[in-house]
Amino acid sequence: MSDFLFELGIEEVPASEIKNIVFQLKDNFQLKLDENLVKFKSIETSATNRRFMIYISEISEKADDKDEQILGPSKKISIDDNGQPTIALKKFMEFNNIELSDVIEIETKKGLYLCTNKVTEGLKTHDILCKIIPEILGELRFSKTMLWNESRVPFIRPIKNILCLLNNQLIELEFSGIKSSKFIDGHITLSESLIEINSFKDYIEQLGKNFVIVKEKEREKKIINEITEIENEIDVNVKIDDEMLNYYIYNNEYPVVFKGNFNKKYLKLPPEIISTFMIKEKKLLPVYDKNNKILNTFVGVSNIPDEKRFVSDGNEKVIHATFEDAKFFWDNDRKDNFINLRENLKKINFQKNLGNFFDKTERLHYLVDFLLKETNNNHMCENIKQASYLCKNDLVTRMVREFPSLQGIMGGLYLKEMNSEEDIWKSIYWHYEPKGFTDKKLEHFGAGILSIADKIDNITGFISKGIKVSSSKDPYGIRRDANSIIKVIIDFEMNFDLYKLIELAAEKFTKNKEDKKKLVSQLQKLFLSRIEIIFRDLLNFRYDVVNSIINTHDILSIYKSFLKATDISKMVETDSIDILISLHKRLKNIIKGFNTFFISEDLLMGDEEKILFEIYRESKTEIEKLAINNNYIQACSKIIEMKPVIDNYFEKVLVMAEDDKIKENRIALLQSLNELLSKIADFSLIIESN
Amino acid sequence: MSLQNIIIKLQEFWSQNGCYIASGYDTEVGAGTMTPDTFFRVLGEKPWKVAFWQPSRRPCDGRYAENPNRVQKHNQFQVILKPTPDNGQILFLNSLNHLGIDIRSHDIKFDEDNWASPSIGAWGVGWQIMCDGLEISQFTYFQQAGGIELNPNSLEITYGLERLAIFLDKRNSIYNLKWGHDISYSELRTKEEKQFSIYNFEIANIDFLRNIFDQYKNEAKKLIESNLYLPAYDYLLKCSHTFNILDARKAISTAERTTLIKTMRDLSSKIAKKYIKDTGKNNE
Repeated sequence: MSDFLFELGIEEVPASEIKNIVFQLKDNFQLKLDENLVKFKSIETSATNRRFMIYISEISEKADDKDEQILGPSKKISIDDNGQPTIALKKFMEFNNIELSDVIEIETKKGLYLCTNKVTEGLKTHDILCKIIPEILGELRFSKTMLWNESRVPFIRPIKNILCLLNNQLIELEFSGIKSSKFIDGHITLSESLIEINSFKDYIEQLGKNFVIVKEKEREKKIINEITEIENEIDVNVKIDDEMLNYYIYNNEYPVVFKGNFNKKYLKLPPEIISTFMIKEKKLLPVYDKNNKILNTFVGVSNIPDEKRFVSDGNEKVIHATFEDAKFFWDNDRKDNFINLRENLKKINFQKNLGNFFDKTERLHYLVDFLLKETNNNHMCENIKQASYLCKNDLVTRMVREFPSLQGIMGGLYLKEMNSEEDIWKSIYWHYEPKGFTDKKLEHFGAGILSIADKIDNITGFISKGIKVSSSKDPYGIRRDANSIIKVIIDFEMNFDLYKLIELAAEKFTKNKEDKKKLVSQLQKLFLSRIEIIFRDLLNFRYDVVNSIINTHDILSIYKSFLKATDISKMVETDSIDILISLHKRLKNIIKGFNTFFISEDLLMGDEEKILFEIYRESKTEIEKLAINNNYIQACSKIIEMKPVIDNYFEKVLVMAEDDKIKENRIALLQSLNELLSKIADFSLIIESN
Repeated sequence: MSLQNIIIKLQEFWSQNGCYIASGYDTEVGAGTMTPDTFFRVLGEKPWKVAFWQPSRRPCDGRYAENPNRVQKHNQFQVILKPTPDNGQILFLNSLNHLGIDIRSHDIKFDEDNWASPSIGAWGVGWQIMCDGLEISQFTYFQQAGGIELNPNSLEITYGLERLAIFLDKRNSIYNLKWGHDISYSELRTKEEKQFSIYNFEIANIDFLRNIFDQYKNEAKKLIESNLYLPAYDYLLKCSHTFNILDARKAISTAERTTLIKTMRDLSSKIAKKYIKDTGKNNE
């Protein structure tokens, strides 16, 4: 058994690309080795921005032998009347270099055929690797490639070296004009010259000596530990998200955490601006006290030990200039009258062929008006409608042009500075949130309203332009926006029918009734599938509970549907659900296949039938009222109360009467009962507990 | 170390490494990349090694002399190595060493920064080089110029001279730098920065600028037709600078920006083609 060590040394690869490349490398090695019947125990990977390592343990020295059955001509044409081989058979033997004794018969779908079993000896692993490594490297996919040398091989960054050791012996190969060798680079500045590598053990040891911590997990641990030390030492919280952690892990071969301070005068800037400039411009982390107040301290990660404090001193100077820039944008933007910037939105396209942002704010105004009325929040109308007009103004400020991630936030901050009403600036501040269903709850109702309006307008606009969402692709964030809408509706208990909002939104993007109908139906489908997935996978409602409500007429009254699913989920924990399940199944069975009929009181025969009708009529009003008030448990109890009467009816009355009129009338009564139940849910789809 | 000593040291280093030391160009440019010594010479097959100091104008970056390291005119040191050497990174680190920077005590990072200059149809892949958090250089593998794919590729190294000086002189602000002997940066530049910031952001006559943009453009077109691609390129540079002032004045809408950039890119592409035809190295 051998082992195999591979390192691709490369000039600094962007941190955001590295995981994807590692994944492809591992996958491709696995695939190509399997394809070539080379056995191995495991593939280990490590990567930094300057190297990709693959280590394969217990790799066999040659590929498995291959048993192949080679099909020849049919028996009919192979043997002549005298029982002698024909030309066809002779050619087959000659081609495969075999004797007549090697030929056997097999039964195929097309009749008897001749064939031979051939054993191909497996190639040496060395030779296979020689062939597949250039293929693997050539097949890597990057978001952007470049050319740099005569080979004209596109790659993500220039390749420096290819280390390729099978059983500690160099495999000679070439890719992009670079020949494999035993030499690798160490740390970019701390390591002196090329390092010779003779084994995997050697590789790890040599890199360690040359200031390269090759394993991601170890670098991560070092960074996290050192940040925690600082947090404990000065009693603060350092905010770090996955993106920044990933950046630090992959951008430093020898990460060392450092801290520094800046002039307190910059704390006068809004904390949102301070943290954005630190993170985006300088890749430094903001630091907060225990009350979540931002401090004049920062934390960063260096690629060398900072014993002389050169790195932290340097960063202290640099951050000063960065905050001066922030102050420049902040001060200058505030010289403009923020309200008047709305005119400038006419010059900015929302999306190609979807009008400009001024048009968009007009549509938002209209949708917000609808939403506030539907949710009985007329008292907020003036402010939130004003917010809908102003919410995109910050797109023309210097700050947002420079830092698009501050959109919304800056609009809010600029208006707050102008002493605008709290409802206005807060609505704008958060209206791009939430970013998905699992995001946190919005802090302001008005922002929720504006967020729904903005997102339904995005979704409707994109879908009207034929943009599709597939399982892997959603470049315009349509799915995320839809999920966010559902989240806001549930979070703020907004009782309205999204269908109506969809219709209004669709009206603005279509010219005729037919197009509108088509668009509405696409949107409806989108939301149905989002509701189904969110209810089942994120809210953890039972799948059969979700099935029972997903086709009800008012499913797009999302908050109602949420309450309904909650109530039914409670009921499925009790025995009473079984009554509803069997009743609904029974009703559906009987009425299956019939047209819809109407009840005629004159045709009601006998007491059982008349009583059932009376009870149905009384309960119907009550049940519908309970359902309107989202009181589904009680509504169901009402249905259950009818059970003895219904049972009695089924016992005494023959639905399929001989007289068609009477039969149809009885069906009509059962259809009405079914309809009453179905308004709540299709209980027949719920799985009985026993 | 004074700014003039940095320039002298860099000229010395790159001269020792085979570069011809050129003078900076005498028409306003946004970066050394836009000079004819870069734009034309990266086209075609002929090897080229050049290094020069280039003052560069970026009207949007003006800060009324109030920002410690942002100015509307800064100084670049531009190096072009064609074809790209195998040891570009090491050469660069050695140049820092030549300037007296102890590279083992500072956090030097090659941080992704792909550069593009759409108005001359040029782009490249590479990094900004950070030294203790300060961006001191751009390091770019040139991929296209004038919309033409380059073969061979060139390596472009652009040092920000003020940034380097701040770093080497341990200053908080470029205005505290020494240019040479007793002349300070502040003395040389403060008034200029203030006046140009006022002009670029507040006073520049928008109608006048639009008008000369069109005239420069028409002149360039005529010159291209006459195969005088060198003067044509000068007028393209003037278009670009005029565009930058209009941009600083916030006079350009998004849609208009796209159109104007396309106008300039088309000119650059025609000029590049003329150059290649003339020098007989057709890369298309």
